[in-house]
Amino acid sequence: MPLTSIIIATHCRPHLLGRAVESARAAGDDIEVIVVDDASMDQTESVARALPDIKYVRLERNQRVAGARNIGLLVSSGEYVTFLDDDDLRLPLTLNEQVRFLRANPDAGLVYGQAIVRDRSSERVYPLDCPQGDVFWQLLTENFIPCGSAVFRRSCVDRIGMLDSYLAGIDDWDLWVRIAELHQVIALPKPVMVWQRSSPVSAQGTSQGAYIVSRAVRQFKSSWIKLPRAVAAPRHRKQFAWNRFSENMASHLVWEAMRSLNHYNVGQATRNVSTLAQVGPLAVLRLAKKTGRSLIHRTQGRRNNDLNSGRCV
Amino acid sequence: MPRASIIIPTFNRPHLLPRAVQSARAAGKDVEIIVVDDASVDETSAVCGKFAGIKYIRLERNQGVAGARNAGIFASRSDYIAFLDDDDLRLPGSIDLQSDALDVNTDVGFVCGAMLMANQDYSLSGERSAPPAGKGDRFWELLQLDFPVMPLCVLIRKECFARVGLLNSRLRGIDDWDILVRIAELYPAMVLEDAVGIYRCPSPCSGQGSSSQASQLYQVLAHQRQLFRLPRVTSATSSQRKSVRRKTVNRVADTLLWNAAGLLRAKAFDSAAANIFTALRLNPLRALRPRALMKLEQILVTARRESLIKQ
Repeated sequence: MPLTSIIIATHCRPHLLGRAVESARAAGDDIEVIVVDDASMDQTESVARALPDIKYVRLERNQRVAGARNIGLLVSSGEYVTFLDDDDLRLPLTLNEQVRFLRANPDAGLVYGQAIVRDRSSERVYPLDCPQGDVFWQLLTENFIPCGSAVFRRSCVDRIGMLDSYLAGIDDWDLWVRIAELHQVIALPKPVMVWQRSSPVSAQGTSQGAYIVSRAVRQFKSSWIKLPRAVAAPRHRKQFAWNRFSENMASHLVWEAMRSLNHYNVGQATRNVSTLAQVGPLAVLRLAKKTGRSLIHRTQGRRNNDLNSGRCV
Repeated sequence: MPRASIIIPTFNRPHLLPRAVQSARAAGKDVEIIVVDDASVDETSAVCGKFAGIKYIRLERNQGVAGARNAGIFASRSDYIAFLDDDDLRLPGSIDLQSDALDVNTDVGFVCGAMLMANQDYSLSGERSAPPAGKGDRFWELLQLDFPVMPLCVLIRKECFARVGLLNSRLRGIDDWDILVRIAELYPAMVLEDAVGIYRCPSPCSGQGSSSQASQLYQVLAHQRQLFRLPRVTSATSSQRKSVRRKTVNRVADTLLWNAAGLLRAKAFDSAAANIFTALRLNPLRALRPRALMKLEQILVTARRESLIKQ
C-alpha cells in the first residue's frame, strides 16, 4: 500500500495534465498518483489513459472541484493525502520531507509549505511568514495554506468528514479550518510547489473572485464561527476574528477590482465592488483607515527623506 | 476484503443502535459493519465500544446524514455498499441475496428488495412496499417519484460513486433519492421480490421526520429542477419533461393531502395544516377537486367511526 496519495482533479485541460502528473510522480517515494477527470468533454481521457503508473478515475457527471477531490479521497489508499491542481507543479522530493514532519509529530494533522506564486510577469513566495502550531484563529481570518502544499492525514477525514462540494473555490480553506480546529498544523518554511496565478483574462477560477469572497463570508458566518471551539471562545475573540477576516476580504476585493480595471474589465470590477456590501461597511472603513495611515506614514517618510537630502545639499 | 459494507449513520440514539447492528450482522456472511457516529453528545460512543467486530467511526463535528454516509463510504473496503438507519432493521441473509444478484448482473448499479413496514415498537404492521420486480432502466420512474424505495433496502455497487459522485451533503433527508436518481441515469437497476428490510414508520408524534414531511417534499420538487440538468433529461423532449414535472407535482400534492388526513386523525394539527397549505400551494385545482375532497372526507369519517367504536 502506498504511503502518500496525490489527488489531481482535472477538467478539460489535457495540455497541462501531463506536466502536473510528472511533477507529482517526482515529488516523493512510495506515492500513488490519482487523476480524477471531472467529466471533461475533450481528449483528457485519452491523454490520461496514456500516462503510466497512475490511477485514473472518470466522473461521468461534473461534480465541481470539491466533488472530484472527494472521489479522489474515496479511491485513494495512502495514509497521507495531498491535492494538486492540474495547472500547478510539485517540486521534486518535497513530499518525503513533509511526510517526515508528520511522522515525527503524531499530534499534528497537517503540514504545509510555501508556494512559488507565478504570475504572468512576476514570481513571489507565499506565505512569507508561516504560522504553525494551533493556527485555528489565524486560519479563520485568512487562508495562508496553498492548496497543493498541504499534506494531511487520512485519519483527519475520518474525524471531520469530507470536503463540502458546494464550496467551489473555498473548499480547501474550509477543510483546513476544520482540521486546524482539532489538530496542530506544521509549517515547512520552504517552497514545495509552483502555483500558477490566473490573470482575469484567462477566465480560470479567480475570475470569480467576487463570488468566492461572498461564499467565504457566508461560510464564515454560517459555519466557521459556529464550530464548537469558536462558540466556546469569548465574544471579543470572535469579534476580532471577524474584523480581521472582513478586512482581508475587503482588501482582496479592492485589489481584484483594481486588477480588473487594469485589464479594462469594468463589469468584473463592478461585481467586486458591489460584493463589498456583503463584507460590511465597517470593514471598508477599517481598511480605508489603515491604508490612509500607511499612506500618510509613507509620505511623511518621504518628506523627511527630502528634508534630509536637502540638508545634505 | 469483505464482500459488502453496511453503513449505519447514527446520532444520539444509543438505545436503538444495538438492534440495528445485530440485524446487520445477521444480514450477510462476509459483511463489514461501519457505524458512523455523527458527533453524538450522549453515550453512543460507549455503546459502540461494546460491539465486537464493527468499524466505529466518530465524526467530531456533525455532518448531517449524507455527510456521515459519505464518511462511511470513505472508510469502507468492500465493493458493495448498503445504508441502514439506526432505527431500521435488515432481514437475515438479505445482503447475501443482494450481493449474489450484483455478482451475477455486472452491469447493474444497485439492487433493491421489498420492505416491510413496522410500527414504533418494531411490530410489523403487515404492509409491504416494493417496486415491481425485474431488471431495467428505472431512471424516469425514480425521477418522478414512481419508484417506492428506501435506502435501507438498496445495495449499491461502490464503483457507481466514482462515476456519479458522492452523496449531496446539503440535501437534508432526500440525499438517498438524489443519489439513486443519479446512479439510475447511467446504470440499470434491479429489483428483487424478496423482502430485505424492516422500516420503522415514523409516528406523527415521534417528531422523527414526518413532521417535516411537507418541507421535505417541497425540497424534492425544488431539487428535481436541479436533476433536470442531467444529460438524459436535457436530451429528452420538452413534452416528456413537462409530463414528468406534472406527475411529480400531482403525486406530491396527493401524498401531502392523504397524509394530512392521517395527521388530523392523530391530532397533529400543525403538521396537517402545513401539509394542506403546501398541497394548495403546489396545485390548488388538484387539491380542491371533488374527488380529492371526497377521499379526504372518507378517511376522516372512517377515523371518526373507529374512534366511536372504540368508545
